[in-house]
Amino acid sequence: MNIVVCCKSVPGLVTNLNISPDGKSLQYQGQLLAINECDEYALEEALVLKKAHGGQITAVSMGGIKSQDVLYYALAKCADKAVRVDCESQDPQVASKVLAAALKQLEFDLVLTGTQARDTLSGQVGIGAASRLGLPFAYAVVAVEVQDDKTIRVQKELGGGRHADVELSLPALLCIQTGIQPLTFVPPARRIRARQQPVRSFSLPDLGLQADELVAQGYRIVGVRPPERAHQVELLQGSAQDIAAALLSRIQESR
Amino acid sequence: MARDILVLVEHAGGKVDSVTLQLLTAGRSLANQLKTQLIALAVGHQLESVAAAIQHHGMDRIVIVDHPALALAAGEVQAQVIAEAARQIDPCFVLIAYSLVGMELTPAVATMLGVNALTNCVNVEFRDGAVTVTRPVFDSTQHVHVALDENDRAVIALQKGSFAPIEATSTQAPVDSVSIDVAGIPARSKVLAIAEAPAGDVDITKAEIVVSVGRGIGTAEKISLIAELAEALGGVLACSRPVVDVGWLPRERQVGASGRTVTPKIYIACGISGAIQHLTGMRDANRIIAINKDAEAPIFGVAHLGVVGDLFEIVPALTKAAKEAKAYRD
Repeated sequence: MNIVVCCKSVPGLVTNLNISPDGKSLQYQGQLLAINECDEYALEEALVLKKAHGGQITAVSMGGIKSQDVLYYALAKCADKAVRVDCESQDPQVASKVLAAALKQLEFDLVLTGTQARDTLSGQVGIGAASRLGLPFAYAVVAVEVQDDKTIRVQKELGGGRHADVELSLPALLCIQTGIQPLTFVPPARRIRARQQPVRSFSLPDLGLQADELVAQGYRIVGVRPPERAHQVELLQGSAQDIAAALLSRIQESR
Repeated sequence: MARDILVLVEHAGGKVDSVTLQLLTAGRSLANQLKTQLIALAVGHQLESVAAAIQHHGMDRIVIVDHPALALAAGEVQAQVIAEAARQIDPCFVLIAYSLVGMELTPAVATMLGVNALTNCVNVEFRDGAVTVTRPVFDSTQHVHVALDENDRAVIALQKGSFAPIEATSTQAPVDSVSIDVAGIPARSKVLAIAEAPAGDVDITKAEIVVSVGRGIGTAEKISLIAELAEALGGVLACSRPVVDVGWLPRERQVGASGRTVTPKIYIACGISGAIQHLTGMRDANRIIAINKDAEAPIFGVAHLGVVGDLFEIVPALTKAAKEAKAYRD
């Protein structure tokens, strides 16, 4: 079973946050770029499926040259090949269009990705790409079982502890929920070795796309600021003992 | 062009999810400001009880797509039915819940309609001449405000708890149906079964005091510190999703969108940053106390009482004080 895993490189700490002059994206300085958490779980699931059923894993990431680190991490973890799609849009419609075009260039039975990127929190690109390609899909998948060459069964979350069992014909796309497999540790030596491996790169023209058909449309970002708080939180201060005593008396009042 | 607002009704087992009444509040307010109609769309099978439950809740009409194949339809089929119904109804905005169900449908519906989707929204309003949404980004530490172009169409997915539920009125909305060839939709996936939440050893939704632990606890061994506090206060131990994902606590203890929704008298969040998926599961608690070392953590946005500090100092001190008070009372 050949699997493509789409993983995004996301910033940890974000500073100097501003709106771009065209109002279509946020500009910032992002530090500590790392693999998006649920995408890492998608990689882990791919690793488990490969061990059981064979095949190759291709890691795909869309982004600038900095996002290449995530692909080296994927190679160190389990991927056989890596592809970077050279496009930096924050617009989910544009991103899913580009990702769908990139997937068309690759051979796969299954596409795995996460549910939501921690930076944009959109949760759209996986299902959006599947819809563009006419692939069946399932979101928030917590278990995958291969039936045969052509069929998989998955369990997906519906919220509130409810689940659905879904059967999908291959090829299909799954958005993997966190916790599907335990995360494995990648030894530093493997991470260093992975950096010797080639990373293929797709430019937009490689994918038959023109930059002018990839312009975000229909909206304008008018503000970005920390959330307004519904009410002012009352902060307790003092020694641990003072705080504990104050908390306890407030807890007893509220009982 | 009509600028009607269409609200997708979320329902399961003949019952309407409470988030639908919140979407109707948002939709009604937009429809009033844009001077258009609010239409509810329910897709499924045997929808009589669903229609009856919302008929008095502020919409101008209800449109139903009822077909046996929609009783257990896969996401791709539901999305095509919703997109086709939207083409026939021709609304300007489609409001969908940003629940796990809505998160699967929204991008597919938007792609099929060829429109933008604005997801994870905590507000939508008509402001300065434009429909404007508010979306948390960067782990919910920032909110971005996005104004939609006039006459642009979009699917807007709203977080649970963003709006109060709409009140019932005496006006009863008429029920319409649209004709869609559901059986003719090619499906490459199918839902085999739906399983309700398994009953665990403990029901955290019944507790008056919930003491909840997050990723900030660091290791599995240290969870006992929080368990001791829960016991000393006569409450139950719960947690946020990351704690379950790494296997430190069982899933029945999880509070949040994919876990349980709790409304205890007192909710104590220890080392929980407050991702929106967690907040939707506990923000209606009577009194929320947050202990976190990061003063900017979103949990302080919903907490009534907060401690910015080290939970490994505060929690044991609170446990000790609670035990002493209990010994004194006994």
